[in-house]
Amino acid sequence: MFLWQYLTLLLLPITVQICKAQICEEFSDLDLSHAIIGTSLRTRLLLYTRDNGTCGTLVSHTDLSAHPRFNSSRPTTFIIHGYRPTGSPPVWMQKFTELLLARADLNVIVVDWNRGAANINYFKAVENTHKAADNLTAFIEMMQRHGASLSSIHMIGVSLGAHISGFVGAKLNGAIGRITALDPAGPQFTGTLPEDRLDPTDAQFVDVLHTDIDSLGFREPLGHIDFYANGGADQPGCPRTILSGGAYFKCDHQRSVLLFFDSFNGTCTSRAYPCTSYKDFLDGDCMSCARFGAAGCPVFGYDVIKWRDVLLTLGQTKTFFTTNTDPPFCRTNYRVEVMIWNEDLRFGYITVKLHSNGKEAVATIDHKASEFKKFTETTLLAQFDKDIQSVKEVSLKFSTGNALKSKYKLRVLRIRLTHLEREERPLCRYDILLQQDKEVSFRPVPCEESNF
Amino acid sequence: MDIELQAIGENGKDGATCSPNERVAAGNGDGGASRTPDTAEKDGLLFGQPASSNGETVSSHHTTEAQRTLGNTFCPRKMNSVCRISRERVRLLLIIICIVVLICAAIGISLAMCAAINVDGDDNFDSSSFKVPRSFNGSFQLPNRVFTEELSTLSSNESQALAAGLQEKLDHLYRSSPALGRYFSKAEIQAFRNGSVVIADYQLTFVMPEEQQDQLRNFTLSREMVYNVFRQFLYDQEADESGGQMYIAPVSLNMLLRL
Repeated sequence: MFLWQYLTLLLLPITVQICKAQICEEFSDLDLSHAIIGTSLRTRLLLYTRDNGTCGTLVSHTDLSAHPRFNSSRPTTFIIHGYRPTGSPPVWMQKFTELLLARADLNVIVVDWNRGAANINYFKAVENTHKAADNLTAFIEMMQRHGASLSSIHMIGVSLGAHISGFVGAKLNGAIGRITALDPAGPQFTGTLPEDRLDPTDAQFVDVLHTDIDSLGFREPLGHIDFYANGGADQPGCPRTILSGGAYFKCDHQRSVLLFFDSFNGTCTSRAYPCTSYKDFLDGDCMSCARFGAAGCPVFGYDVIKWRDVLLTLGQTKTFFTTNTDPPFCRTNYRVEVMIWNEDLRFGYITVKLHSNGKEAVATIDHKASEFKKFTETTLLAQFDKDIQSVKEVSLKFSTGNALKSKYKLRVLRIRLTHLEREERPLCRYDILLQQDKEVSFRPVPCEESNF
Repeated sequence: MDIELQAIGENGKDGATCSPNERVAAGNGDGGASRTPDTAEKDGLLFGQPASSNGETVSSHHTTEAQRTLGNTFCPRKMNSVCRISRERVRLLLIIICIVVLICAAIGISLAMCAAINVDGDDNFDSSSFKVPRSFNGSFQLPNRVFTEELSTLSSNESQALAAGLQEKLDHLYRSSPALGRYFSKAEIQAFRNGSVVIADYQLTFVMPEEQQDQLRNFTLSREMVYNVFRQFLYDQEADESGGQMYIAPVSLNMLLRL
């Protein structure tokens, strides 16, 4: 008898816990058969807050007061997914809410329009974006009636979701605070008028990341700032051939979300440099951040909002950065200036390694053969896979990729390495003889004021 | 008729190349006379045609056929085709060999050209044409030496030994420099002074060619270059020589162009 009482006492809270757990709403899990038959639109709104970071609450479209967890005084962030050809829930959704809630006390609303996005027929899904936008607009208008301010709303849209954000923003006359578009969809949107896609008038601030402009993404700038990661087309580490299966189609596109995640990591920041083309950026023609004042060039990702005011004065800004193949994706940029004394022109690739306490960072400048001319400074952009503090040793290698020119030497008068993101004295080395394909290591010295 | 006659003539010559002993009999029109009977039988359609061709309209193609057979009269009939095929084969083989040889020659020549072009002209210089002097003065500190009275007079043994050692160091440093070595003339230690440590005054002399001297002044033999080649040498040595008597403190180095 005593045992029974004891057991009941023990089991009661567990039962309560289980009951509580059961009200966790999950993202609609569909499969390929749904996609083949086609789904009609149903927009579900799942609320996550710091109190229920992993357990979603289904929010009513008409009655907010039923949800005490929704606090109108907190900023609200919507996450809107894109086309789901297989109907599966996005694998990154859970992590997205966690990262957002870790950063700020928000109402995070996951917009689950999987029924509507899961369709073999992409055109149907595109059609549904407008209806989903209408649903969302109605919901936000209701939020407004409950005291939420439009400027505290941030919509993060992936692929088709980016355009949904745009439609919602346009319906609300561009009053919402921010739209972040992660590789906005290109097919069916490329070449359309601004009202039929995302554009900078849709929110007070629109930041856009492009990672797949040559297939699923959108090529032209769409926001106040457009980031073209690795030029926006092919992402490093993504398969180049169809032999790799499904990853071939979605890897570049999905990388946009992974890059955005990386931006929540405070130690790994990617500075984006304004430039007219990726080629000019790689050539080292766009290393100036003067237009952004003391803040320097914008950092890609969640925190780009800090550059909002200056970006709004600049209209639309196209920026570029490169990434590593795996997380951490951020790279460290140096300006490399080389002056030679060879009588003849020299063309070739430069590989720079920075060493410090057993750590090594490598940058290969091989997007094209750089030209070196006697007594003329050649400026290059070197992108290192990691950041090295207090560089102790530098290695240099010159190569032409031409076996016939094996006797080539690059006679360097001076090389100067300048960290683009840290205020540091540039590193110099004078009088180096670089034999083709032979690595030369040396200890750099702090540069003296130049009188060349 | 003109066409026909011309064709006969050509084919006659063609045939003649097969065997040098062949009788050049196949003249225009009357070539038919030398035709052997079985050849004629084979070309039943053309039988008698060349002989009685005058006035007849026959396509020149047929005529050609007939005359080719006609021309080969002196090759035995069975050997006829073999003779022609082997001849063509030899010719083809010769052409192929010729092409291969040409390609090899072209590759060889281009390789040789490349090698010749690749000779690095930057290694060659004529130091006898270097006449314009350029000098730098400066000082550095020897923190591991204690100043003695003997050091203040350059003729003393201690002073001479130290100066020789330092001069050798400077000599070696500039002579081994890829960019400056060829222009380097001499390094002199001019005096030792007493600071808190020993201070040495030095002078470096370079000579440069008359031509290009403006560029050299601005770049290769600029103060920045000459100074920093010295400076980085001192930093390189810091790690292994910082305890030695000849150790020069890198931060103490200064240098000015001597006008």
